[in-house]
Amino acid sequence: MRIFKCVLRDTLRLLLRHWGVSLLTLLTAASVFFLVGASALLLVNLRSMVQKVEAGLVIQAYVKNVEDLQALQGSVAAIPGVSRVEKVHPEEALQRLGATLQGHTQALEILGENPLPPSFEIRLSRASFAPGVVRELLGYPQVEDVVYAGKLAERMAHISSFAGHFSLGALLIAVVASSLVLYNTIRISIYSRREEISVMLLVGATPTFVALPFVLQGMVLGILGSLGASLLLGGVYASFTDFIRETVPFLQIIEDPRLFLRLGLILMGGGITLGWISSWLAVGRYVRQAIRPI
Amino acid sequence: MDIRISGVAKVFPPDIVALEDIYLTVSRGEFVYLVGTTGSGKTTLLRLITREVEATRGHLTVGDFVLRKMKSLDLAFYRRDVGVVFQDFKLLSHLTVTENVAFVLEVLGMPPREIRERVGEVLERVGMWRRRFLYPEQLSGGEKQRVAIARAVVNSPSILLADEPTGNLDTHTAEDVMQLLLSINASGTTVIMATHNKYIVDAYRQRVVELRGGRMIRDEKRGRYEEDENF
Repeated sequence: MRIFKCVLRDTLRLLLRHWGVSLLTLLTAASVFFLVGASALLLVNLRSMVQKVEAGLVIQAYVKNVEDLQALQGSVAAIPGVSRVEKVHPEEALQRLGATLQGHTQALEILGENPLPPSFEIRLSRASFAPGVVRELLGYPQVEDVVYAGKLAERMAHISSFAGHFSLGALLIAVVASSLVLYNTIRISIYSRREEISVMLLVGATPTFVALPFVLQGMVLGILGSLGASLLLGGVYASFTDFIRETVPFLQIIEDPRLFLRLGLILMGGGITLGWISSWLAVGRYVRQAIRPI
Repeated sequence: MDIRISGVAKVFPPDIVALEDIYLTVSRGEFVYLVGTTGSGKTTLLRLITREVEATRGHLTVGDFVLRKMKSLDLAFYRRDVGVVFQDFKLLSHLTVTENVAFVLEVLGMPPREIRERVGEVLERVGMWRRRFLYPEQLSGGEKQRVAIARAVVNSPSILLADEPTGNLDTHTAEDVMQLLLSINASGTTVIMATHNKYIVDAYRQRVVELRGGRMIRDEKRGRYEEDENF
């Protein structure tokens, strides 16, 4: 407990002694974590939009006879990527057409016999499955034609994939940048205390005792930086959603407070872990060198 | 703790021989002067004992510790029993006299009350109690050395290594510091003191070990700084 108090006091001393460097590190870490959080929010929103579009994405597969509906349903449902298959009988198709035409039902009377073929309405779990599912469907001799919003499906798949790659890239850059900044801050602290460290080691301080204040310093900077980023992100996102709601109301942005709580916790977890790893690497290396006899 | 040095050599890269074929045993409670010209190997020998330097050849044991095979945690515990005083004091400039001395005990996790008591005692002993709130830059050379000695002995180590402790001091102050080291030795601490100070060595006769070019050329009980012609 006494050693812990001593370590805490040393950590505070380190943070305050180089308050300028500490502040700079905090700002840099906060900016980096802000970037990570913003790209995560972008990804989550894009995914949500993609999911909504995907949920409405339907492949219409026309078959020759009504009997084919029963015969093919199982096989179609088993195609990878298919989430739901619905049979549409010619009568039902006609009813739907009537509902769509509303006041113009006399057009249907002109037709006389129902010309609409039986079909399957197929929904996918992801838009990217569409081309594969269409290929499979066209392979069945009973299937006469397949109609789907191919371009839209492909574009959505591309956007989703791009958002994923962008977020991953941003995350990697952020991890490397914040690690380097934290690592260098700890190195500066170590450098400023090198004489103290050498005396500590000479009088019998254990390597862990020497390293702990620096590791805590890194963790504190990491967590404070990510906390600052989370708060800033919350404020900016709230203003952004207000703006979107007023100017582009059809664009549905996620406004779930639990999302922010989760994101904040993830960022702080990331901050503390990065702080711990970078400072441990910096101080561990230094202490190992310092105790190694010449 | 006895110090046993057997056939020790130290060669710094590429081929600078700092010590060669050193055999030396220092018993518990002894006072030993290490004398010799600059570059004779005095400091290297002291740093071998603190394990800042590792011997290229030979064996070095201090008490039960075999210095060549020591893990970092064992090294920490070993060093708690070896106090070191440097010519340039190595006091921490941002700490007061009290804090500089207390620092050692804090590192060891001693309770605050015990730290206060011990620091008070040792500062009284070295005559620095009244200057305890000052910072190193506010002290004279002799006072700094007293604080450095206080820091080295506050943990009651078995061995005190002093590297030119009177090197930066005038004769009168050097004598004060010497008296202090002798009183520490009298309380049972082994003292090994590397020095150039002929006056001190001759005035306070103790065992003298002389090094020249990394080799031990003299080991004399109650010797003088320079070899006695009749020796």
